[in-house]
Amino acid sequence: MNAGIRSLVVAAVAVAAWEAVVRLGLISAIILAAPSDIILAAASDGAVFVRAFATTAIEIAAAIVMTWTLGIVVGLIVGSSHTLASATTPVLSSIFAVPLIILYPLLMAWLGIGPLSKVVFAVLSGFFPVALNTIDGVRAIEGRYIAFARSVGATRLQTYARIIFPLALPAIVSGLRVGTGLVVIGVIVTEMLASLGGIGFLISYHRTLFNTGHVYFGMVLALLMAVAVNMGLTAIDRRIGLWRMREENS
Amino acid sequence: MQIIEVNKLGKNFGAGRAHVRALADVSFAVEEGRFVTLVGPSGCGKSTLLQILAGLIAATSGEARIDGERIRAPMPDKIGMVFQDPTLLPWKTALANVEFPLDLRGVDRAVRRKRCLALLDLVGLREFADNYPHELSGGMRQRVAIARGLAQDPRLILMDEPFAALDEQTRTRMGHDLLEIWERTRKTVFFITHSLAEAIYLSDMVLVMSPRPGRIIDTIAIDFPRPRDIDIIGSEAFGQIRNRIWHRIAQAQA
Amino acid sequence: MGAALAGYLIFAVALFGGWELAARLAVADAELLPPVATVAAILWRFMHDPAFLGDLELTAAEVAVGFLIAAPLAVSTGFLLGERLHLAETFNPIVHFILAVPQSIFLPVFILAFGIGFLEKVLFGVTHAYFVIVVNSFAAVRSIPPPLIAAARVFGATRAQIYTRIYLPAMLPLVLTGLRLGMVLCIIGVLLAEMYASRHGIGRLIFTWGEGYQVPELLAGIVLVSILTVAVNEAMRLAELRAGRFYARVSAA
Repeated sequence: MNAGIRSLVVAAVAVAAWEAVVRLGLISAIILAAPSDIILAAASDGAVFVRAFATTAIEIAAAIVMTWTLGIVVGLIVGSSHTLASATTPVLSSIFAVPLIILYPLLMAWLGIGPLSKVVFAVLSGFFPVALNTIDGVRAIEGRYIAFARSVGATRLQTYARIIFPLALPAIVSGLRVGTGLVVIGVIVTEMLASLGGIGFLISYHRTLFNTGHVYFGMVLALLMAVAVNMGLTAIDRRIGLWRMREENS
Repeated sequence: MQIIEVNKLGKNFGAGRAHVRALADVSFAVEEGRFVTLVGPSGCGKSTLLQILAGLIAATSGEARIDGERIRAPMPDKIGMVFQDPTLLPWKTALANVEFPLDLRGVDRAVRRKRCLALLDLVGLREFADNYPHELSGGMRQRVAIARGLAQDPRLILMDEPFAALDEQTRTRMGHDLLEIWERTRKTVFFITHSLAEAIYLSDMVLVMSPRPGRIIDTIAIDFPRPRDIDIIGSEAFGQIRNRIWHRIAQAQA
Repeated sequence: MGAALAGYLIFAVALFGGWELAARLAVADAELLPPVATVAAILWRFMHDPAFLGDLELTAAEVAVGFLIAAPLAVSTGFLLGERLHLAETFNPIVHFILAVPQSIFLPVFILAFGIGFLEKVLFGVTHAYFVIVVNSFAAVRSIPPPLIAAARVFGATRAQIYTRIYLPAMLPLVLTGLRLGMVLCIIGVLLAEMYASRHGIGRLIFTWGEGYQVPELLAGIVLVSILTVAVNEAMRLAELRAGRFYARVSAA
């Protein structure tokens, strides 16, 4: 029996065991939804969930675009100045300790509970790792590359775009990984706390009704979203990583 | 008019206790189409002088001119540079690296490709045009850097100890190949090195610099016929010149 | 060092100065952006209000208990995995997978299973702290340079001596980093759980104020929590630095 079939069999057995554990009352159906409950939820309210998924996806996409742009630009600018970098990095990393989630009620009061407050919160969460890693990446660039850029008459913009940015890219990408993860969590969690729509909202809504099947279905979708984003980032990381590894091995 | 004229060049760094006088009263001139080398002990200010010639840093006093024009900033179309470390961009192929300065200037794609392939041919790396720097040896990377330095067809090529990071045999071979390239392009070359043998073998003229603060303490014309035979390195005449330089430097260090 | 200090000062000035400026210029309703003094006064009042202090203590207790449960469990797990590599092969992928998953999503399940009381908050905090500490403790064990152990053996150190005089100082910095990160995550977990569904605690207070548009109280709460969490983080970071320096001295000797 080859490995592929073996994994499938193991998975099938696991799912069957899972179903049995709930059906037999070993774990309350309120706490753990059986696979059949999840499928039932999907079947009965699939359209609602799909719409919610789309809402969440759009919020995440918007937040990602803004986080990446803001984080990278600020990181490039601050990283280029030794004084700016030494002054701001300690502050930025100390802020990391503050549980940003407590800022969400403020955003709620200011911006309401629509998509705007979610996106702003998510950008706030993701910004810091992106900026900090970008700063590190820029500071690590050896002076000879800048000297080279000047010697061939590169303009400021050209130096940033075609030399500094590519050289800092590996560090930037690891910042993007962490930051994007925080963006995804930020959107979903704030949707759970207070929202008009989205996957997080549905999860919370059904929890109050003890529709555990729906709750788990929502969680599965949320996890799928997180995994999909993560896979996208890994793909980017791998492409960048290829030439970085080549460089290190040379 | 000499292509390069340097007059009473001085350079100071830092202030107060950290004050360093790197160069003091450096004056010399270079004739067009010549291969000139600057030698001197470690820390004497050779690299500083080169950076001033490249327009990367400003002199504190005195001036440096190329074709009569003062050097205040990098002049990429007139002055090409090869650094000690090839400093190739790792994500670009050899060809793309050579093309890079032209790419920045917006030179037409077909034109620059043709010119840069020819340059790679000149340095003997035509077949490696599509290879990445990590796939090339140290010597090959430096050749790409040399091709890149020639990309904008400059009047002057500055070379800052380009072979220092290579092992001795590669180094000697590179020196030999560099002369071949030079013979075909006849650019003016200003070369810096620690190695006296390298300096004498390659150049028409050797400038000897004193320890810090650097100044030119000797100018030696090298009359060996061109193209240079590698065997001159072991000759008596070669040895005499070498000793002369060595003693001059030792004297200045005392 | 000077630049960092300057950075903090400039940040504080910019933050509070900008805040005050925006409030003065009435960029928004006075209700939506009260002056710094108003918020400071409210904060002062809170510090003498037994009800508020009660909520603050509750949250602190949830965090402390959660951390004190998670830390020893996680550190020992990390050490065990570090020593028994065959176990690590099986369990490390699982740990990393869990870290990659946004754990906060499981909050509703925690509530379904454990209600909304003290226990649920503590457990939620525990799960947040646990995995980070495991990973760091594991790394700490694996980071001990073999030459160090070999040298100890050559000099006839006993097992106990090897553990206390060599392993411990070498591992301490990484373990402390893990503990600090675990604490940060534990705090986030507990606050989130309180904000989401709770009857008491600072998180609940802050969320209620948000729902009720009580911005002055809200800002006071945010400022207080920020100061406290940064203080905890910096204190733990100081311990890390001390341990790191100590280790440098020990390994250099």
